[in-house]
Amino acid sequence: MLKLISLVMAVIVWGLLSLTLPHEIFPGPIETTRTLWGDIAGGEVWTDLVMTLLRVAGGLVLALILGVPVGVVMGLNRRAEAVLDVWVMIGLTVPSLCYAIMAFIWFGLNEGAAIVAIAVTAAPSITINIWEGVKNVDTKLVAMARVFEASRPAIVRRVLLPQILPYIMASARFGLGIIWKITVLVELIGRPNGVGFKLFYWYQLADMRQVLAWTLLFTIIMLLIEVLILKPIERRVFAWRPQVAV
Amino acid sequence: MNSVIEVAALRKTFKGHDGTSRAVLKNLDLTVGAGEFLCILGPSGCGKSTLLNVLAGLDKVYEGRASVSGGRVGYLFQEPRLLPWLTANGNLDFALASCKVPTSRWSELKSRYLAMAGLSEFRDYYPHQISGGMAQRLALVRALCVEPGILLMDEPFSGLDEITARRIRSDLLAIWRETRKTIVFVTHNAYEACFLADRILVMSGGAFQHEMRVPIARPRSYDDPAIFTFSRDVIKAFGDEIERDPVPSAATESGSVNNLDRHTAARMNI
Repeated sequence: MLKLISLVMAVIVWGLLSLTLPHEIFPGPIETTRTLWGDIAGGEVWTDLVMTLLRVAGGLVLALILGVPVGVVMGLNRRAEAVLDVWVMIGLTVPSLCYAIMAFIWFGLNEGAAIVAIAVTAAPSITINIWEGVKNVDTKLVAMARVFEASRPAIVRRVLLPQILPYIMASARFGLGIIWKITVLVELIGRPNGVGFKLFYWYQLADMRQVLAWTLLFTIIMLLIEVLILKPIERRVFAWRPQVAV
Repeated sequence: MNSVIEVAALRKTFKGHDGTSRAVLKNLDLTVGAGEFLCILGPSGCGKSTLLNVLAGLDKVYEGRASVSGGRVGYLFQEPRLLPWLTANGNLDFALASCKVPTSRWSELKSRYLAMAGLSEFRDYYPHQISGGMAQRLALVRALCVEPGILLMDEPFSGLDEITARRIRSDLLAIWRETRKTIVFVTHNAYEACFLADRILVMSGGAFQHEMRVPIARPRSYDDPAIFTFSRDVIKAFGDEIERDPVPSAATESGSVNNLDRHTAARMNI
């Protein structure tokens, strides 16, 4: 309920603020929604939307594949931690634009290069999250499992993984937030379609109604993914957790 | 009585961060017979847990000999150490699967030991849904259901309130009477040791200082005045011993006397 009120308030604030500027520069919510509706009814949004979502999904999967193992190794091995933490910091510092340019120049203007650029940008943040998670693993439970003669793979799968899983879920969620922002940038400089491409296209035509309509569209889609996909998964996976009453 | 645990000239040193090494176990010799209930009594920091870790195979870096025969080793920690994402039943399954107990025997073993510990109705509860005492009892069930020949227990009841701890101690003796496991029970509580053990070894500064057989007939009752008298003697004799410890290795040693005194005081109130 509170969420709904805050959402309505935000729309009202947007409406009021838009009155301070000419409406072709800062269109209000009604005008933006009407433009968005026109785009959707015209059927031209779907290709761009689907391409962007595919890149986001591909980038997220690859970022997890790159980031999770490195984080696990860093959390388990002090020597690996000492060597890799500088590189994680460097990876985190290099702007996503640099990765995108390098990927497009080296691998060509194709989907593979786009996904690599997206994943490489997001992977260091995921690594940091997992690294912290693995360091927080309860070694007393590992000792318990060893007393019961559990094999090494069994300890990893049944004692370590369940403890790291919350951190993997958290990094997937916030990784998604970072990745969608990078994806738009990557599309802007090197892809012929997608939300980022469309945003740049309308920016060049100085059509703010379309720019805001596309922003609104993608924000709604990402919220739906959060509410309809990620939250239910989380609720299911962590059903065992006690409810915290504050 | 044939022996199942044999330790000879066991030494263990820990290296500190500053490069100095500290001997935690100094030339220990120990023989435990099959079916015996042995208590190792000592202040915290005296090396009892280190000894148990060696016996359990958790710690493999030591000098001397430590051999354990007579079947699988069960271990009960100070905390329950249950996997919080599994139900009681799931936690038992984890132990049974890890120890490679044939699946056909699982349900019989689980039912038997859950019933012994009075937990039959809590199979589907998660660890956070049951009390601390029940969680520790469940950990005991988990240790028993893999049918160990030897049970190592590291101050398993010290984190529980006294009423609960008393009940579980009696349960433990009943279970021991029925199953006749060899038990090595580590504690800093003299009364507990006197109630449970056949034999008490007092440990301090990484070495056994005294050995004493408990001359009280079984079955024992927790409120038996003989246990109280005997425990007072134990504390009197060994409390001095600890005080006159020739190598006070750390600050914990001096604190340990207070620890024992506090426990005597606590016992007086019963």
